[in-house]
Amino acid sequence: MLQPFFEWMQELRFSAFFLESVWPTPIVQVIHLSTVALFIGSVLVVDLRLLGRGLIDQSISELTKKVQPFLLWSFVVLVLSGIPQMSSTALKQYYSPFFWWKMGMVFFGLIVTFGVRRYIASKEEGYFGLVWPKVIGLTSIALWTSVTIGARLIGLLS
Amino acid sequence: MLRELFEWVEAFPSSLSLRESLNGYVYCLTAHVASMGLVAGLIGFWDMRLAGLALRGVRVTKVQSGLFPLMFVGLGINAITGILMVYAQPMRYYPNFWFWMKIGMLVVVAVNAAYFHMNIEKSVDKWDSDPIAPLQARVAGYVSLAFWFGIIATGRMIAYSGLVPQWWLDLGLGS
Repeated sequence: MLQPFFEWMQELRFSAFFLESVWPTPIVQVIHLSTVALFIGSVLVVDLRLLGRGLIDQSISELTKKVQPFLLWSFVVLVLSGIPQMSSTALKQYYSPFFWWKMGMVFFGLIVTFGVRRYIASKEEGYFGLVWPKVIGLTSIALWTSVTIGARLIGLLS
Repeated sequence: MLRELFEWVEAFPSSLSLRESLNGYVYCLTAHVASMGLVAGLIGFWDMRLAGLALRGVRVTKVQSGLFPLMFVGLGINAITGILMVYAQPMRYYPNFWFWMKIGMLVVVAVNAAYFHMNIEKSVDKWDSDPIAPLQARVAGYVSLAFWFGIIATGRMIAYSGLVPQWWLDLGLGS
């Protein structure tokens, strides 16, 4: 069902530009990878706190607020820098199981990070007991680690 | 001399077996990238605290004690997988411009961190809670941020061994 969309993406002039030019692809990859580091850092600072580690003298809601701009803007840059990489190799991505794995994990990661975690942060500390914040912290780390692994394997094993 | 060292390592049976294993290199590279996110992400927040760009309301010593334990775990994984990758393909890395740029930048961040630890950090009690750290600490933060970006950038560029300055090719390291 999605194949025509990926074929259309692959045939865009925009995609051809990235495939045929020398420097744009590595530059975009460098931006994407360095933003991955900022995004992972932003995720981890809060996840560690949910696990009762890291910046424990800060409340979860305070820390979430402080880290939120980095999380949000790094995600925006990740999407923007991911688009040319995806469109220029659209069919390779389409046929790669790791691409679909990555996208699935991104979907669940976004729900946990921007939905569940924010909901936890909006309530009083201890409202969800001791276990649930830890479960969510671990789930978030596992999901975003899976995204990173899936992304790397698209290039290596597809 | 360095070339002989890399050639010597390449001839090791264990280097050969890692090089020829079906997925050994893939697993190493994947773990290297994942742990890079962990290391650079957490160091990034530490550097941004020093530079006054993030976590301004959190004490500097608390950021250090809170983030460094996991960061060091990531650094260990990152270093081991990085060494294994070079160990598996030494003569692929030896003539690579971006590899040596990355090594140079790693030396700079190590020296910067050591200088911070041995000098600037000694007075941390006086500015621990200040939202904006003293100039020296801010400079150390910015230097670290810039060079960690450089490490990530040159690390990614290792795959583009052909995109290098002409003077590097003229050295004929690959031949």
